[in-house]
Amino acid sequence: MKQKRQIAEVLERLKSDERFGKQIVHWQTIPPREARLAPFPDDLDQRIRQTLSKRGINSLYIHQATAYRLVREGKHIVAVTPTASGKSLCYHLPILQALAEEPQVRALYLFPTKALAQDQKSELVAWTDEMGLPIKTETYDGDTPASIRQVVRQAGSIVITNPDMLHSAILPHHTKWVSFFEHLRYVVIDELHTYRGVFGSHVANVIRRLKRICAFYGSSPQFICTSATIANPKELGERLTEEEMVLVDDNGAPSGRKHFLFYNPPVVNRQLNIRRSATLEARDVAAAFLTSGIQTILFARSRVRVEILLTYLQELIKKKVGAKTIQGYRGGYLPSQRRAIERGLRNGEILGVVSTNALELGVDIGQLQACVITGYPGSIASVWQQAGRAGRRQDESVVVLVGSSSPLDQYVLQHPEYFFGQSPEAARINPDNLIILVDHLKCAAFELPFREGERFGRAEVTEILQFLTDEQILHHARGKWFWMNESFPAHEISLRSASQENVVIIDISEQGNERVIGEMDRFSSLTLLHEEAIYLHQGVQYQVEKLDYAEKKAYVREVQVDYYTDANLAVQLKVLEQEESVGGEQVEYAYGEVSVHAMATIFKKIKFETHENIGSGPIHLPEEELHTNAAWISFRETLLTKMGKAEAERGLAGLAYVLKHVAPLFVMCDPQDLHVVAQRKAVHSGEPTIFLYDRYPGGIGLSEQVFQEMPTILAEAEKLICSCPCEKGCPSCTGASEEGEKELALTLLRAAWGGSLHVS
Amino acid sequence: MSLKAKLQRLKGHLTREVKQAAEAVPQEWQQEPGSANRTGLPVESTVESTTVERMSDGSIPFLPEWTALAARPYIYHDRYVMVREVRYPLSQRHGRYRFAQLYEVIEDWERASADHPLSAANLAADALLFFDTETTGLNGGVGNTVFLLGYSRVEGDEVIVRQHFLAAPDAEVALYQSFLDSVREFSHLVTFNGKAFDWPQVKTRHTLIRDEVPQLPAFGHLDLLHGARRLWKHHLPSCRLSLIEQQKLGVWREEDVPGYMAPLAYFDYLNERDPRLIQGVLKHNERDVLSLITLYIHLSKLLLAHESSAVSPEELFETARWYEALGQWERAIQRYRAVAESCTGSGTQVGVNALIALGHLYKKQKKWQQAISIWEQCMATCSYLPEEVYLEAAKICEHQLKDYEKALHYAKQALSLRKKKSSLLRHKFSAELAAYQKRIERLEQKLFRLV
Repeated sequence: MKQKRQIAEVLERLKSDERFGKQIVHWQTIPPREARLAPFPDDLDQRIRQTLSKRGINSLYIHQATAYRLVREGKHIVAVTPTASGKSLCYHLPILQALAEEPQVRALYLFPTKALAQDQKSELVAWTDEMGLPIKTETYDGDTPASIRQVVRQAGSIVITNPDMLHSAILPHHTKWVSFFEHLRYVVIDELHTYRGVFGSHVANVIRRLKRICAFYGSSPQFICTSATIANPKELGERLTEEEMVLVDDNGAPSGRKHFLFYNPPVVNRQLNIRRSATLEARDVAAAFLTSGIQTILFARSRVRVEILLTYLQELIKKKVGAKTIQGYRGGYLPSQRRAIERGLRNGEILGVVSTNALELGVDIGQLQACVITGYPGSIASVWQQAGRAGRRQDESVVVLVGSSSPLDQYVLQHPEYFFGQSPEAARINPDNLIILVDHLKCAAFELPFREGERFGRAEVTEILQFLTDEQILHHARGKWFWMNESFPAHEISLRSASQENVVIIDISEQGNERVIGEMDRFSSLTLLHEEAIYLHQGVQYQVEKLDYAEKKAYVREVQVDYYTDANLAVQLKVLEQEESVGGEQVEYAYGEVSVHAMATIFKKIKFETHENIGSGPIHLPEEELHTNAAWISFRETLLTKMGKAEAERGLAGLAYVLKHVAPLFVMCDPQDLHVVAQRKAVHSGEPTIFLYDRYPGGIGLSEQVFQEMPTILAEAEKLICSCPCEKGCPSCTGASEEGEKELALTLLRAAWGGSLHVS
Repeated sequence: MSLKAKLQRLKGHLTREVKQAAEAVPQEWQQEPGSANRTGLPVESTVESTTVERMSDGSIPFLPEWTALAARPYIYHDRYVMVREVRYPLSQRHGRYRFAQLYEVIEDWERASADHPLSAANLAADALLFFDTETTGLNGGVGNTVFLLGYSRVEGDEVIVRQHFLAAPDAEVALYQSFLDSVREFSHLVTFNGKAFDWPQVKTRHTLIRDEVPQLPAFGHLDLLHGARRLWKHHLPSCRLSLIEQQKLGVWREEDVPGYMAPLAYFDYLNERDPRLIQGVLKHNERDVLSLITLYIHLSKLLLAHESSAVSPEELFETARWYEALGQWERAIQRYRAVAESCTGSGTQVGVNALIALGHLYKKQKKWQQAISIWEQCMATCSYLPEEVYLEAAKICEHQLKDYEKALHYAKQALSLRKKKSSLLRHKFSAELAAYQKRIERLEQKLFRLV
């Protein structure tokens, strides 16, 4: 009770605070919700029933009961439930029941991370021990000791693992799992919503491989998926598993009162409509919670921001609570570090966490009461998932979304009805991305030869198999394709990162004690690990001394400086083939294949606190080449003469800036996944053009989506520019602040709409 | 855009695998047909007549070349594999031994009745398969295909090498059928790393076709790699079979195709179907399985020797350690003694180590006096002994012999050695030093009370 009062108190203080109060532009209170219950199913095993009762569970939430019934009927299901709604019972219950009836049944649980797998194992083991059922639950991941792997393979009733392990360690060795695959009846895919984009497209192919191997051993498992709220859970489940799914979304779990605050930082330059940094404001809001002893999670959008915020907050809170109680959490940390943080959060030793969206996943970290989100994370679904970290236990909780000056953030903050009214975005995957498909086709051929006419999931693959035969990777003999190469393909394919090889980060501060402290994908390393870059890790600053790009190693040394670095990426783009187009008189929308050359050019040193530029230097790294898909808008060349060359160029830049922020909103992706480039004279046509391209080689369908939604995206872009209160363009709309920028972008927008050019 | 064009355009992203190029295999390995016989070794081709009857001559490419290599087709359900067979007289020497000496060492094992993982006591010489495979990759995994199953064995007055070769990847059923047909009577595999690699890989590939072929026999398995590591880990830069052949077995290979080239040679063969592209690999495998016989004879001799006339003191010392680890203390003691005797006066480290080890074994047997006297012998003659020896001596004197004065002396010796070591290594072993100190104090008290 004490904590509840604390939250109310702190909120009251926040509201009446002179500085914070007026920046709260929207306050939505989400009322508590009552539980909706259903009795235990009649056929539920007595031992399971008793164990549940002993834990004070005497009935099910209705969604759990529905899930149970459908799984028992043999349906594949997707259960959509918010955090803390007892979603794991949706799969535990029917599976434990099946195991109680037939002990030889096998189940495979897939969690996106190892940490989640560990959590689930301890929970399950506690249950089954109490039930007295002879069920062996085992995790199988990189940490499983070699000595017990064989036992897991042969005797594990429920094997808990992650897609990466399934991809690289289980499927390529399926002959060691014969009895497991023969009796595999259930595959659980938890956190389904995380399987989107490139990662999801990879995992969909891993599941094609899994199903192919199951078929070989004569089994055909049922899929049970659970997902956070997204627009298209059923569709995503069906794309991922290529099975027909039944949706379970009648959530019966209760929830506590939640305060949702939109916080818009004060304008510091009225003419330019520049607001105070969201990072600094979020820090102060979080500090207000933390100093009141409220366990708070602070989300930042990039690894760099996490580290900056961590440095800030540890400094700020040190005197009051001790520096160790605030920790960073992000993808680049080593597993052991991450697990220690998760433990500290659960047992309360850690009061605050600064995280990237790695914690969007349902790691059970106990009772966080406040959640501060720095900047709109790019999608409604992401906001809800991050917000779900607060108030999991039906207590009162608070979520503060702190907006940045970016157009997207300003749009969301100024249109709360958009956020609260719109259904969350759809999660998209493209399992047939050629690069991803070919990668997994190789793995599949390694696992079992392909027969003539055989499909790979729904994909028609004969031509690709022939290609791989020409490349001497497969061998074709009497109607079958055999793997005929020395390599072990799964080891060369990572499900997680866009580029296949990661750069390893090595700390050389102490001679004789060099150690690996993290890793990063190659593309990011261009701008984050170039020589002289300041790399932040757990709040400690390192300077990159040498980036060995060929060997994928970055050598860093600990330093103490008062700045961070920010690098520029120069991009060249060529159209290789136009596949579709819609033409008008003034303008043409098109879609096709492009090649992109990216090169890091210079970096700037930016001072903490003031964010002023205090120096710069060149970056000498090779060019990265990317073949991908793009959507583009071409204007007629006459535009240049009508508007004036310089003006047209500025207009294009302004419009590109807006589109970069608006487009991700409509194709549900991280703004990082979709890049925008404006060219005054496109190489393929000589016309002024704006390109929006997929960041992943081969494309994962984002730009195709942009092409289809172009009118909507343009309409929203126009709305955004028009509703911005600035005078001549600002970082919240068209970016730059030169005279007429806004007008120029609007002129182009109207032209893009098919209207005629009006140059005032 | 057509898929084909797209595949070509994205090629850089799609293929990272090592290209299989014919030029990867040097010319000298692609020998002329018939040259397999130029070593002058006897070559006979006697594959069972049943398979010969089923052979349809037109369907086997390069049949004359195969015949020149002493290989015949084995046909099963419309697929064929090649079975190559080469015979050698038992009297033939391979490295430092004649094959016939296999019988000798088996008799020796019988006589010694030592319980040892490499013992062939109660085994018949002609029940052993000296077995090795060649595969398309080195990493394991289902897709790593076993394309050659080779073994040597003794029969009557001959050693027979037989190799089952996967002539095409779709003939695996025939491959295992032919292999299983001919290995039924054997009880044990003798391999080099076969427990960890070859046999699991055979099991893996067999699993894929388990419904179409008989089960694999449950062979006993003597893996010689383990023994080689125990004996030579400290004396050889690596325990590769080829190195052991040169350094220990007196086997020299000429024009050998190294094992890691085997996959590329096989891929080349698959493209051309010309057996001359793979004959280097066949020869390599043949030598491997012959060397396994020599290696087994050699290891057996080392393990059965109990004096150092035939064995280097270092090897004898390692065999003693192995017997000690197996709990066969008498055998270990006998060998440690022999090592110590052979080193008497020479002051070599292995001689001292043998004495120290002997002391430890006596201690385990509670022969306190013997243990102390042997260590004291070391102390008298050696300038340096590890402090553990002094410590153990101190323990025996204190707890068993109740000679506190001696115990105190040894404890102090141990401490001073420990301190020397700490300063040399620049590392404080505080906990250990404290324990040493405690022991000394206790002993001083005991002595004081006696006085």
